[in-house]
Amino acid sequence: MTNQPTPPPNQPIAAGAETPRPPFNGRLLVLKLAFAAFFVIIAARLVQIQVIESSKYQERAKRQYEQKIVLPAVRGNIYDRHNNVLVSNSMFVSFAADPKLIGDDAAVVAEKFSYVFGKPRAFYLSKLRSTTSSGTPRRFVWLERRVRPEVAKRIEAAKLPGIVVLNEPKRLYHYDDVAGTLVGFTDVDNKGISGIELQFDKYLRGKNGSVIMQRDGLGRARPSVDYPRIEPRDGHHLILTIDLAYQSIVEEELKRGVERFKADAALAVMMNPKTGEILALANYPGLNPNDLGSYDIHAARNRVITDIFEPGSVFKVVTAAVAYEHQLVAPDQRFNAENGTYKVALPGGKFRLIKDSHEHAWLSFQEAIEQSSNIVMAKVSLTIGPERLYRQARDFGFGILTGIDLPGEVRGRLKKPFEWSGTTLQTLSYGYEIAATPLQIAAAYAAVANKGVLVQPYIVSRVIDASGEVIFQQSPQTIRRVISAETAELLTRAFEGVVQNGTAKDVRIYGVRIAGKTGTSRKVVDGKYGTGSYTASFAGFFPVEDPQVVCLVMIDNPRAISYYGGLTSGPIFRSIAERMINTTGRFKKIPRTTTNALQAANDISVPDVRTLPLSLAGKILEGHGLRSEKIGEGQIVVRQVPEPGKRLSRGEKVRLLLETENATTASADGTVVPDLRGMSLRRAINRLVVEDFDVKVRGSGVVIDQLPAPGTRVNPGSAIHLLCEPRPTFSAVLY
Amino acid sequence: MTKSQRNHIDLPALVVVLTLMVMSLGVVYSASATWALEKFGESNRLLNLHALKVLLGIVALFVGMTIDYKKYRKLTKPAVIIAIAFLAFTLVLGGEVKGATRWLQFGGLSLQPSEFAKFALLFHLCSLIAVKGEAIREFKKGFLPMMIWIGSVAALVLLQPNFSTGSMIILMSLVMLFISRAKISHILATLGAALPLLVLVALTRPHVIQRINSFLYGTPGQGSNNYQLYQGIIGFGNGGLFGVGPGESVQRDFFLPESYGDFVFSIVGEEYGLVGTISFMLLFLIFMLRGFKIAKFARDEFGRLLAIGITSVVTMYSCVNAGVTLGILPTTGLPMPFVSYGGSSLLFTSFAVGVLLNISAQTDLHPRAPKVTTPSVSAPGLEDQTVKVY
Repeated sequence: MTNQPTPPPNQPIAAGAETPRPPFNGRLLVLKLAFAAFFVIIAARLVQIQVIESSKYQERAKRQYEQKIVLPAVRGNIYDRHNNVLVSNSMFVSFAADPKLIGDDAAVVAEKFSYVFGKPRAFYLSKLRSTTSSGTPRRFVWLERRVRPEVAKRIEAAKLPGIVVLNEPKRLYHYDDVAGTLVGFTDVDNKGISGIELQFDKYLRGKNGSVIMQRDGLGRARPSVDYPRIEPRDGHHLILTIDLAYQSIVEEELKRGVERFKADAALAVMMNPKTGEILALANYPGLNPNDLGSYDIHAARNRVITDIFEPGSVFKVVTAAVAYEHQLVAPDQRFNAENGTYKVALPGGKFRLIKDSHEHAWLSFQEAIEQSSNIVMAKVSLTIGPERLYRQARDFGFGILTGIDLPGEVRGRLKKPFEWSGTTLQTLSYGYEIAATPLQIAAAYAAVANKGVLVQPYIVSRVIDASGEVIFQQSPQTIRRVISAETAELLTRAFEGVVQNGTAKDVRIYGVRIAGKTGTSRKVVDGKYGTGSYTASFAGFFPVEDPQVVCLVMIDNPRAISYYGGLTSGPIFRSIAERMINTTGRFKKIPRTTTNALQAANDISVPDVRTLPLSLAGKILEGHGLRSEKIGEGQIVVRQVPEPGKRLSRGEKVRLLLETENATTASADGTVVPDLRGMSLRRAINRLVVEDFDVKVRGSGVVIDQLPAPGTRVNPGSAIHLLCEPRPTFSAVLY
Repeated sequence: MTKSQRNHIDLPALVVVLTLMVMSLGVVYSASATWALEKFGESNRLLNLHALKVLLGIVALFVGMTIDYKKYRKLTKPAVIIAIAFLAFTLVLGGEVKGATRWLQFGGLSLQPSEFAKFALLFHLCSLIAVKGEAIREFKKGFLPMMIWIGSVAALVLLQPNFSTGSMIILMSLVMLFISRAKISHILATLGAALPLLVLVALTRPHVIQRINSFLYGTPGQGSNNYQLYQGIIGFGNGGLFGVGPGESVQRDFFLPESYGDFVFSIVGEEYGLVGTISFMLLFLIFMLRGFKIAKFARDEFGRLLAIGITSVVTMYSCVNAGVTLGILPTTGLPMPFVSYGGSSLLFTSFAVGVLLNISAQTDLHPRAPKVTTPSVSAPGLEDQTVKVY
C-alpha cells in the first residue's frame, strides 16, 4: 500500500481507485460458474470422443490412413501322374482406382481406359463417380480385372493418377476342356468352386500375404513401419492319378461316340483295379474352365459321381458273383431261357413278363452271362434269396459312398430286403430297382479284376509344397474282400466270354484279352420306363491275365445305330482301349504305328532347333521332354525330323540332321544326290549302291529324310544318311 | 518499477503459462512436421518460426511483468485510439489473406491490429470502469461512453471481416460490463440493438453462414465445410485414452488441414489422448483460478478489473478453441492460447499475462518478507467499508 499510483489525469475521482473496490462477488461468481460449466462440458465431450466413441474414430482414422495391399499367394499347380502340368497360373494385371484421388481427372482416365479396352467411357465414368451410401466418393473401385500384361502396359505407360495397378494370378487350364469337369474351376478371386479346385482348395490356395500401406491426406502411400510385411505362402501342388494321355483319349472317344450314336451325353471312368487310382474320368459334354461363359452350369457336374443310374445288366456282376461265391450254380449248369419271354406268377393270380433281347431256349450259366439273359438271372435269384443278394450288392459298394476325394459324391440307393416288393429280388438280379453312380459300378468291376478285393478309388496321389516337399501322400486303400479269388476268376472268365462270344463282340481287340459286361437300361422318364430312352453301358477290364485298367463307359440316350450297350458303349470302350494299347505298348506287344501314337498323347510341340549348335539343340529338346538323335557329322543342325510345330509325346525322339564337311566342300563336278524320300529302304539302298555312294541307315521301313538333301552335289563315294521310319500300319485287326 | 514489485509474482500462473508454451513447441513440431517437409523441404521449418515467436512471447511476458500496470491507466485511451487508427488503416491498406484484410506488415513482421485492439480496448474498459465506479449503472454517464469504444473497435474488426475476433471482443466486453455491475437491462438492450446488426454483418459474409449452417445441420464428415472439424474429431478419437504417442499422429499427415494452427488441440488429443487433453484443460483451469485469485487480491480497482479481464480472455479463448475443435461451437478461427502456432495473438496474450503477473506481484499474495499480514482475511470487512466510501 506504500506505492500510490498516480491518478489518471483525466479522471478526477481516481482517488477511489486507491483502495480496492468491493469485489462484485455475485457477478464474479456467475462468471466463474459459467467458465466452470464450460470446462465441464469440454471434459465431458472429451470423454465422449476419446473414450466412449474412441473405437469408432480409430476405425475411421485407420480406414483413411491405412490401406492393406494383398500380396496374392500363387495357387498351386495341378499335374497328372506323369507330372504334366494340367493347371497353373498366369500373371494378369488388374486396375483399380481411387475415385477421390482422381477427382476431376475422371474424364481423362475414362477416356484412356475406353481407348485401350474398348468399353464405353460412361462405363468407367460411372465407376469413377460412384459414391458410398452416405454420398462420399469411394476410395476403391475395380476398373478392369485380369488384363493380359501386354495390354496392361498401354495403361501403365499413361501414368494416370489415382490408378492402382495390381498383379493378379489367373488360373490357366493348359488343356482347356480336357479333364475340365474333373479339375473344376475357380471364381474370380481364385477360390475353388468346383471339382478338384474345390475339394483341395485348402491345399491349393495357399495364404495371401499383405503389406499395410500408410496413406496421408494427399493419398500417397508408403509401407507402414508398424506392421511387418507378411509374405504370401504359395499354394501346394497336386499330383493326380490321372493320366493325361488316357484322359485325352477318353474324352475324344466319348465325343466321337456321342456324335456317332446321336446321344445326349456320355461319361467314362477308368481306374487301376489294384490301387484304386483313377486314370481318367470324363464327361461329355464337358466344360472348358478357361472359358466358362459359354457353358451350361450343368456341365460343371461330374456325373460320374453325382448322378445315379439304374445299372441294368452291368449289375449282373453281383448276381453272378453271389451265385458263384455260394456255389449255387456252375458255369456249365443249364437253364431254360424260355425263348426270351418268361411269365412270372405274382401273388393274386397276376403275371409279370421278363424279356430277353435275344431269344434262347437253353443256356448254360456262362452263356446266360454272355448273352445277358434276364430270365436266367431272375431264375437264379430265387435260389440266391434277398438277403444274400442284398449283402453281396452292399459288399460291392452299392448304396455306399466310394469315398473318392471329389466333391458332391452321392450314395445311390440300394433298398434293404424288408423294403422289397415281391418282384424286387428278380428285377434287382438284372439291375433294376437300384440306383448307382457310374463310379460305384466301375469300382465293383475293379473288385472282380483285383481278384475279389474292393479298393477305394482316389484321384490325388500326392500333395507337394512349393519347394517339392511331400505334404500328403495317398496310398491305396483296401476296403474289403468282396468275393473269393476263385469267384473272381469265374466271373472274369464269364466276362471274357461276353467279349469273345456274347453281347460285346465289338469290343474285341486282336492280341489283348478283354473282359467286360454290357448293360442297357431303360431310362425312367416321368416316373415310367420309357420305350425310346436308354442308358447303354459297358464295364470292362484288360488285360485279363493281369488287369491294369478297368473302364466304364456310359452313353446317355443313343438314338442312332443302336441303343444296346454292346453296340454303343462297347465300341467306344474298344476305341479307348485300342488307342491306349497303341500309345503305350504296355498291354500287348503289337506293331506300333506312328499315326496313332502321335495322336494319342501328342502334348509336346516340337521346338525349332534348326541352325543351332548340336549341344544347345539337344538341351532345348531335353527341356521339352524330348530325346534327340544326331544324324550325320558336324556341329550345326540343318534340319530336324519332325519339323518344328509337330506334336510328339514325352520321351519321343527328334532327329537332328547335321551339316557334313562333305556338303560344304562339294565340288561343282560332284555327283548329284538323288531324292530318296518316300522310297522303301530296300529300293533306296539299291539306288545308292548303283551310284557308288556310301549308305548309312538309321531305322527301318520307309525313307523319310536324307542327308545331304536331294540335289546336293557331293564327291563320289560320299556317305548318304537315310532316316527311316516304319511303314504306317493299322493298329489292330478287328474281328 | 522496482517499488511496485515489492512482492513475488504468482509463480503458479507463470509456471502454467510457461509449461503451455514449452509443450506447444513439441505439439506444433509434431503437427507441422509433415506439412513443413512437404512445403519447405525441412520438417522443422515451422517449429523454428514458432520457437522464435514463443521466445518473443516470453520476452513480451517479462516486459509486461516488469512494467507497473498502473502506468497503463493514462495510456489506455491513446492506445485504443491508435488501435482504431490501425484498424482503419488496415482496412484500407492491409494485405488480403483468405478474403480478409487482417494483417499489417511491419518490415518483415506482420501483425494483426485486431489483436492489439482487443487488449487496448480491454485495458481501456478496465480503466474506464475503475474510474466510473457506480456511475457505470447510469446509462448516459457510464454505459454509453463505454459502448462507443466497444462499438467502434468491434465494428472495425467485424468489417475486416474478422468475425471470430470481433465476436470475442464483444464477448470480452460483455464480460467486463457484467463484472462492472452495469445494469443488466442496459446490456440486454444494447445486445438487442446490436444483434440485428451482427446478423446483418454475418449475412453479408457467406463463410460465416456456411460455418453456422454446417454446425447446426451438418453431420461430421460431409461437405467440405466441416471437413476440418470432422478430421479434428477423428484425431481426438484416434488418440483414445492415452494417445498414439508423441510424434505418432497420422491426422497431421494432410488429413487435418492446418493441424498446427487452430486445430492443434486435436493433435494433442491424438498424440497424448484424453490424459493429454484433460491435462491441457486443467492447466487452463489452474490459470483461471490463479487469475481470479490475483484479481481478488489486487491492490486497486484497475488491477482487479484488469486481472479479471486478462484471465477471462485467456480462459474464453481456450474454452472456445476447445469447444470449436470438439464440435460444440461453430467453427471459428481462434487459436488456443500459448499452444497454437501463431504470431500476434501469442505475442499480445503473453504480454497480457505479464501484466497479470505484475498485478500479482503488487498484491500480498506472495509476500517477499516472511511475516507480513495479508489483508485477505479481512477482505469481507474491507468490502463493506469501501462500498461506503463510494
